Amino acid sequence: MSEYVGILVSFVMAGGVAAAMVLLASTLGKKNPTSVKLSPFECGVEPFSLPMGRLAIKFYLTAILFILFDVEMVFLYPLAVIYRTLGTLGLTEMAIFLGVLMVGYVYAWDNGALEWK
Amino acid sequence: MTGPISADLALLVPELILVSVALALILAARRIQGSQIAVAATVLAALAAVLVSGFSLSSGPSTAFGGMLTRDSYSQFFKILIAASLALAALLSVRTVDGRQVPRGEYHALLLLASTGMMLAASTLDLLTLYLSLELMTLCAYILVGITVESPASNEAAIKYLLLGSFASALLLFGISLTYGFAGTTDFAAIASAFSGRGPGGQPLLLVAVGLVMAGLAFKIAAVPFHTWAPDAYQGASAPVAAFLAAGFKAAGLAALGRVCLIAFGSEAEILSLLLAGLAALSIVVGSVVALSQTDMKRMLAYSSIAHAGYALLGLCAGTPQGVQATMTYAFFYVFMTIGTFGVVIALGPRGETLQGYHGLAAQRPWTAALMMLFLLALTGIPPTSGFAAKFVVILRAVSAGFVPLAVLAVACSVVSAFLYLRVVVLMYMKEPKEPEPSRFPVAISAALVVSALVTVIGGLLPGSLTPWVKAP
Repeated sequence: MSEYVGILVSFVMAGGVAAAMVLLASTLGKKNPTSVKLSPFECGVEPFSLPMGRLAIKFYLTAILFILFDVEMVFLYPLAVIYRTLGTLGLTEMAIFLGVLMVGYVYAWDNGALEWK
Repeated sequence: MTGPISADLALLVPELILVSVALALILAARRIQGSQIAVAATVLAALAAVLVSGFSLSSGPSTAFGGMLTRDSYSQFFKILIAASLALAALLSVRTVDGRQVPRGEYHALLLLASTGMMLAASTLDLLTLYLSLELMTLCAYILVGITVESPASNEAAIKYLLLGSFASALLLFGISLTYGFAGTTDFAAIASAFSGRGPGGQPLLLVAVGLVMAGLAFKIAAVPFHTWAPDAYQGASAPVAAFLAAGFKAAGLAALGRVCLIAFGSEAEILSLLLAGLAALSIVVGSVVALSQTDMKRMLAYSSIAHAGYALLGLCAGTPQGVQATMTYAFFYVFMTIGTFGVVIALGPRGETLQGYHGLAAQRPWTAALMMLFLLALTGIPPTSGFAAKFVVILRAVSAGFVPLAVLAVACSVVSAFLYLRVVVLMYMKEPKEPEPSRFPVAISAALVVSALVTVIGGLLPGSLTPWVKAP
């Protein structure tokens, strides 16, 4: 277990530094509040809003399709790195993998998932 | 990555058959009219998998993919059982798929892929492969439960199942990671030697690891207290899917549990026995008692399947190869009797889903009523059926392992469940019919019923017929 102590220490330090900054800022800092300053702010996005906006479901479909190619890339990069070591065997395996993945792609295409409607 | 890949792939032939048929069905999904072609393809693929697994049933054990997968008589036994339940489930789905506008190609492809996951779970020698194969199986199951899109109950069931299932998968994965932290490996045999090398003495975190893995696996077979998903999922899903969940899933979960308990965590046998005995006792009691108050047939059978998971665990409690063999026998006979019972429910259509529908069935359909009685007697465990042979071996193993109170409890709950199952028989034979005569059954459904009935009868008359093939890993 001793090798995990380092991780624990880093967690404690990270927490400590963050807490110290918040504490110091709130105790030592000069306060000159206005209503704009007091409102919560996060990168220009309204932090609180009622869940009114509805998102078209086709965006989710696109996101899922994106994963298809994303996963493909995850495996293609390591293959490219050790391509010479693996040789034909690796190439065949990758071809089979891509083939299975393409079945999913063809299925999505077949069912009109690529049409923006 | 060394060695000829063809030798590795040779071990996977049953799975490869199922996967290629599933991929073909996915590609052809939009062009399949009527479910006949999809059913035929699925059944043929399942039969081919049964044959291929059967040919290598008695061959010696061999491993592939760097020791991650094995082919021994244990894995082949379960592959045959899983492929058989796949074929029966596909046969039973004819009317549901056509009647309820379920996408045919996708439905059968999912059945095939779920079975592939189950087969891999039965033949894996590594915790990570085990996790992956169980995920393949459950991910397909989430969709299968919710595949009748226009039914709100089905959608609700799928969501509930997904949420609880993901939680259970997380538990399993956490247990695996803790096990890896202790043993430094995910290979079953290496885990066993790492565990036993630590010597005796309480290792709390080790117990947590074992407990979490067991919890994750208990969820798959719906053992109490990890059963809450089952009644909702079975009731919301269409009946053939529920039959497949009750039969195939349980078989695959038990296969994985058997190997994990006997090999990977073999050195923790004492704790495992207590854990399994607790799971078994709770499942038997809760399953048998809560089933009594159900009026929906699928929900009642869900609780019955929970109780049966408990009975199957009795064999594993013993922690011996003989105990695992008893569980294998139990799983085999249970699959056919539960699919048979669900088969009658499916055959009767909407009428079969409530207890009301069974009033006076014997007067209208004597043969169907007789079959239903046979399956219900088997589920109760009454002698001339395979249910008795199955219950006998597991209770015998529990007694010889010293779990006498547990065995007494199991027998007592059998009596309780007799009331449950025989109530349906009474309704069928001693009440006046309330509903019009059911329409003719499709041939596929009748075929599945006859096969299940044959296994149930032969298993009861010749209880030793399975013994040559039942071998612990």
